[in-house]
Amino acid sequence: MDTQKLNIVKKIIWLRLAQVLVNQRYKNGDFKIPIHLALGHETIAVSVDAAMQEQDDLFLTHRNVHYNLARMGTLKEELDEYYLKESGLAEGHLGSMNLSNPEKRVIYSSSILGNNLPVGSGFALGNKAKNKDGVVFIVTGDGALEEGAFYENLLFLSANQLPVVIIVENNDWSLGTRIDERRNKIDLKKLTDSVGVDYLSLQNNDPFDYLDKLESCRTNTLASKVPILVEVKLTTLGYWYLKNKDNPEGKFINYHAGPAPEVEEKKDEYPMILSSNGDPLFPLTKYLSMADLIEFSNELTEKLKEELS
Amino acid sequence: MRYTQYINSLLKENVRKQSGTVIFGQNIDAASCLSGLTRGLSSESDGLTINTPNIENSLVGIGFGLMLNAVSSIFFMKQQDFLLLGIDQVVNTYNIIRQTQPLASFTIFPVTVDSGYDGPQSALNNFDDFCSIAGVEGYSFTNKADAESILSNYLIKPGFRILSTGQRLLQQETLDIEVIDQDADCNYFQYKAGDDVSIVCFNHSLPYGLGLSEVMLERGVNPSLFSVNSHLNAEFDQIVKNIKNTGKLVLIDDTKSRNRTSDRFLLNVLNSCTLQETFVISPLVSNESFYPCKDLLNIDYAEITSAILACINS
Repeated sequence: MDTQKLNIVKKIIWLRLAQVLVNQRYKNGDFKIPIHLALGHETIAVSVDAAMQEQDDLFLTHRNVHYNLARMGTLKEELDEYYLKESGLAEGHLGSMNLSNPEKRVIYSSSILGNNLPVGSGFALGNKAKNKDGVVFIVTGDGALEEGAFYENLLFLSANQLPVVIIVENNDWSLGTRIDERRNKIDLKKLTDSVGVDYLSLQNNDPFDYLDKLESCRTNTLASKVPILVEVKLTTLGYWYLKNKDNPEGKFINYHAGPAPEVEEKKDEYPMILSSNGDPLFPLTKYLSMADLIEFSNELTEKLKEELS
Repeated sequence: MRYTQYINSLLKENVRKQSGTVIFGQNIDAASCLSGLTRGLSSESDGLTINTPNIENSLVGIGFGLMLNAVSSIFFMKQQDFLLLGIDQVVNTYNIIRQTQPLASFTIFPVTVDSGYDGPQSALNNFDDFCSIAGVEGYSFTNKADAESILSNYLIKPGFRILSTGQRLLQQETLDIEVIDQDADCNYFQYKAGDDVSIVCFNHSLPYGLGLSEVMLERGVNPSLFSVNSHLNAEFDQIVKNIKNTGKLVLIDDTKSRNRTSDRFLLNVLNSCTLQETFVISPLVSNESFYPCKDLLNIDYAEITSAILACINS
């Protein structure tokens, strides 16, 4: 494995460990602010980070912990922000849901579904007005694409030929409802085709496949000025059971926000949570042994302790 | 010259001064160009001019995105009610933008539809409510002088604000009256300086104040006349000082807002002045207000003048 690939593997493991640490402190009641953890979203965040060039910019949602950490590569500043300390990434002024980091080109994060799409589109229009070559990456989700802003921005980006990559993190859930509990399925390929936007689907959390494809997306949108939507099928790890008179046995509800109490950290395979492609750590075992993964994990755990000591 | 043409000339003049400004909105550079308001702006600007799709919510966010990229822009909007669709951006996005020190300007320029007969919809005249919910600066203008000051000060200036004027005024000849004093930030303008009564006009109601002033002058009453152009700020020491001196207040406000700048102003006046006579004139908002009807205040200038005269002579 070459150095770039090794760094990507290590960053995915580190991002898992960093979030597990945040979750542990969250469970201890350390934070007053709401945090939307992104266990299970590590591969896409690390791949976007790796695909971004110096002149590119990133617009995020309320679930932004993974991208912000991937861009920083360190935990302390983000953790301090969660504690609302002056030493935090935004001096304690933004908390988690709106956390941005302009120095690392994380320009804006919004806690309002669909709200970051127009702001990102406007930023891309600004690049055009300034004749600046850069790609704007806008992250959204399967809940936000139900908002009018999603459709509006596909129209605007296409009409104005703006080089933008829209990442749709499709985890099938919006708060406590699955897609099939709240609406009909939306065929994003057909929708994007109809408004002149390109489409790509990513799934299975293979980081090298993701990176190759995202780099191609970036090159293509920059050359063609045709925006592209990348739908990423993923699993947000964590869950709870709703027990009431309609569901006496308990109904499975996927994790949305807050501490993730039902994340089971496998003792033998820590920090892996699931033995399937739904867990970004599992596909890494195609490229390295479980023993190596655990060794990297131990090494990165020590590094995190050192950083926070 | 019609007010539309005059405002159009001021817009051109100010856009010409600022290189790289992006101008956008629906039909701004096509067909009637918002009834002439934005005609010819594209040829005065060396920045992008965009006839946009009908995506008002996004267009507000796009202005903020441009601002974050240090690019100034103006979003022209045919009717103020369209801005309701962008209220998430006006409030929530601005709550983050306001924490920064923006290098660029973002101005939303909606026309307040106060010409009447539009029916239950498309007749929103609630500028104060927009400014209140977002805590955003807003300025309206009604005549030649205040439009010139406000547009040269605020059309393109780092930061975010909303500027508006009334559709009724845009269809009329430009009101050309002498300003005798004004606040440095264009929060208010003074047009007459008499000692008998203070007339203070809000929103787009200055023409009513002028009409009342003329009747008063004919009957020997010397009014002071002010127009408050800000839709956010409501504390003006100079106007309060004038009201303390005259002891009589006629407040005119033609907004349909429920959270009025004029109410906050009046509270401030009542807390600091002893008044001999007070008239507060504002629209009666009922279900009937939303039927197609004229959108005008019905003010009996003679009756108010008689009451002020009686007070002076008592």
